[in-house]
Amino acid sequence: MNTSALRLVQLQNPLGNLLSPALASQIHTSSPLCRVVSGKYRITKKRDRPLTYEMANPPHYIAHRKSWNSWNTSNLKDGLRRSETAVEDEFIRRFMTGTWHGLVCSEVIIKRQFNHIRVAAIIRRAVSPTKMYFLLGYTEELLANWLQCPVTLEIQTVDSFQDVVFKYI
Amino acid sequence: MYSNINLPRQWSRLSYIYRTLTTLEGQTLPQSTKSSDGISPPPRIPRGPTDILQALAATVGPDPTAAHYKYHDDPYLIPLSNFRKRSYALSAEAGRKAAAWIRDEHAELFNTREWDPPGKMKTPYFNADPHIDAFAPKPLYNDESKVTEEDLKYTINNALLEDSLKIFQLLGGTSGVNEELRIAFLQLLCFYNEKEPDSMEWLEERWFSANIRERQAATWKLGGLADKIFESLEPKTSEAYCCIIQGMAKYYQAERAYVLTQEAKDNGIKLSTSVYNSLLGCIGFLKEGTALRTETLKSLLVEMEEQGISPNNETLTSCLRSISAWGGGKMLQQLALQIVAEFKKLGIEPGLSAYYYLLCLFCKERGPRVDILSGILNDLEKRESLEPKEPTDTNFFITAMGVCSDHLQDINLAERLHALLMKDDNYKLVGDAYKESIYYRHFVTVACRHAPFERTTQLLDMLVPNVYVPEPTVMEEIIKTLEVGGAGDRLAQVWSQLVVFGIAKRAKLVERLLSAMCSCYQYQENEVKEKMRAAAADVLRYSQLAEDKEETKDLRSPTQKLSATTLSNIIELCSDTQDKSDPNWDTVSEALQKLRRSEAVGVPNKPQVLADVAQKAATVGKAGIAAVAVTYLAECGFEEAISASTQVLGVMLNRPQEEVKQLLQERQGLDSLHPSALAIADAYHLAKTGAPAQDLDTSTSSESDSESSSEDE
Repeated sequence: MNTSALRLVQLQNPLGNLLSPALASQIHTSSPLCRVVSGKYRITKKRDRPLTYEMANPPHYIAHRKSWNSWNTSNLKDGLRRSETAVEDEFIRRFMTGTWHGLVCSEVIIKRQFNHIRVAAIIRRAVSPTKMYFLLGYTEELLANWLQCPVTLEIQTVDSFQDVVFKYI
Repeated sequence: MYSNINLPRQWSRLSYIYRTLTTLEGQTLPQSTKSSDGISPPPRIPRGPTDILQALAATVGPDPTAAHYKYHDDPYLIPLSNFRKRSYALSAEAGRKAAAWIRDEHAELFNTREWDPPGKMKTPYFNADPHIDAFAPKPLYNDESKVTEEDLKYTINNALLEDSLKIFQLLGGTSGVNEELRIAFLQLLCFYNEKEPDSMEWLEERWFSANIRERQAATWKLGGLADKIFESLEPKTSEAYCCIIQGMAKYYQAERAYVLTQEAKDNGIKLSTSVYNSLLGCIGFLKEGTALRTETLKSLLVEMEEQGISPNNETLTSCLRSISAWGGGKMLQQLALQIVAEFKKLGIEPGLSAYYYLLCLFCKERGPRVDILSGILNDLEKRESLEPKEPTDTNFFITAMGVCSDHLQDINLAERLHALLMKDDNYKLVGDAYKESIYYRHFVTVACRHAPFERTTQLLDMLVPNVYVPEPTVMEEIIKTLEVGGAGDRLAQVWSQLVVFGIAKRAKLVERLLSAMCSCYQYQENEVKEKMRAAAADVLRYSQLAEDKEETKDLRSPTQKLSATTLSNIIELCSDTQDKSDPNWDTVSEALQKLRRSEAVGVPNKPQVLADVAQKAATVGKAGIAAVAVTYLAECGFEEAISASTQVLGVMLNRPQEEVKQLLQERQGLDSLHPSALAIADAYHLAKTGAPAQDLDTSTSSESDSESSSEDE
């Protein structure tokens, strides 16, 4: 990553100073751990750490075996609101796991289309449907008010966490 | 690779500029339809912001195979009974309300645009960009709030009655508010009679709110704030008179309304059409007797003409509303038709409300059959669209379907009406949840009674359970239809539907279902028969579960017990097997035990069934079951007990009937018999003489023996 960014700067330089100030900040100085550690799970001694399908596939399988957790156009080239989107997504994830306490069995998937945010998750059937509907309405309304745009929850339910376990490591 | 990126970007920018230029030019072009070169583009049609969305929505029809879209599409979250539909939708709305409460209470936390750096904040209060009213915290008012006339304007425009009352007081009452705002406030008070209306924001609450029929009584608050504000207005304009008279007439304070009308007329103040409409609507509260009322109605209409006030659609509706409230009779019906004809001459077509009142007037429950509905439908079907204009418009479809079902009993008319309701987006005229369910209750009832069987089942498949969940009375109607149609397969399904809909504990309904199953059991195919047996066995299991639950949990309302007829029907269905190892025999024996422990209500209406079962059980080799059945028959004092006991004993001992009879008469050598046979012999004597052959001790022991023997098998 670091080297490619550098090469990019070198290639751009002869063309003029159109993009160089923005690119300067992309040179990483931290040690490159992304390929080795991040997004991967350590094997336990007893081999009893449950992994969902999403967790079982390391990041380099994104778009091959699994898909993205955030769907938006901010991170494309010339995308708008990059940092805002990232922070909002983090807020939504924390809000979901906190509001649906102990019920969320999967990653929270956030899909943005136009001004509409769709939040998908797999939920354990540990509370009655009536309570789930209460939480649904509450989450949608509060997030909509917070993010100033319509928010829809797309919930799927499973009987227990065991149903989403893909393997143990 | 990266070096040549810039060029296409410039190109795209250029083409963008080009495109904007052409569109700018294009916007000015199609103003007129004529042009010199013969090409005439159509004039520009102005579009609203939601027109495209509405056009898109019009392409999607209702989907009866899925739950309503307000419910979440997940097997765990799809409601299947009326109770669940209601509680799920209201729970979701309760969650929304909770969130809105938090937003309003902690408005200071919802104040900035999302994660804007503090430097970018424009105002300390609310910086969302663009500002969306629906997402903004609503202001809260209490006794310490500092309020201005702007606040009063805001609350009046949003129909927040309680808040506006408070602000009005804070502003210093009638003296602290200017004239214009006072009239606006008066209008609000008159419209709602100083009562907070149901919020528009909470759709589900409105949809499910219990059908509170507007009380037809003088509920106007005499000497209330509205009256005081009206007094304070000086000079009293026509606007002020109009709104106070309309308010009084709307809440049936007829006398005061008429006094004020007279006052206004004396002062030469011009009144509006709506004032006369509301006065026409409350004649019944002013005058007694049909003749007097009719006279007043006519004089009011004449007065309108004198004053040069042109009537409108609502005038017709309020006339008919008054007339329909005065009772029935030929004279009133004639009057109503006259009025409708007269208005048609003026070019005013009756709306849905007018038709609703006509139906009320002509189609009385115990009156002669009058078919005005087909004429009404002819008219409505011709119209381009049905626009809701008055709140009573939502009464039309439910009343018309009621007329189809009870008054005319005509399925063709009902289907035409339903087609009209389903056309375009007429479904919004169905009203609320309560009206919708009554509408479908009438529709399904008339279909069950008068439609061909295939059409009925087709209709049921479409409506149940996502659109409509039948109530117990309608379910009975459906069971009757299925019985007549001989659809054993569907009858077996009905049982599972009863469980899902939460009405399986209604003993009467279950009894009806099982007798229907029994009556058409004979001519079903084997596969269907098996399903019906399974359903019957499940009925017993379900009731057992319900009783167990009742014992463990102290429930407030006791569960209804299955009747003896139901049990004997279960026995009849489940005993239809030649296989000794069939698990249905367990069901039979359990049902028999239940009967003997007299846990069922009443006695079976077909004792012959039990006699037949006893014989069948004996043939198969289930002596215990046979013994219990015969004993029960004897204990209940049925005549069938005697013949049954001899027959069963004959089968068990493999001897001809005469010999058995003799054996029983002599009571000799009975002791050496199998305990079950002994029990049957006892039953024989019980039936014959009214007392068991041996003394009580031995009979009980033999009974227990018979039970144990049945378990042994």
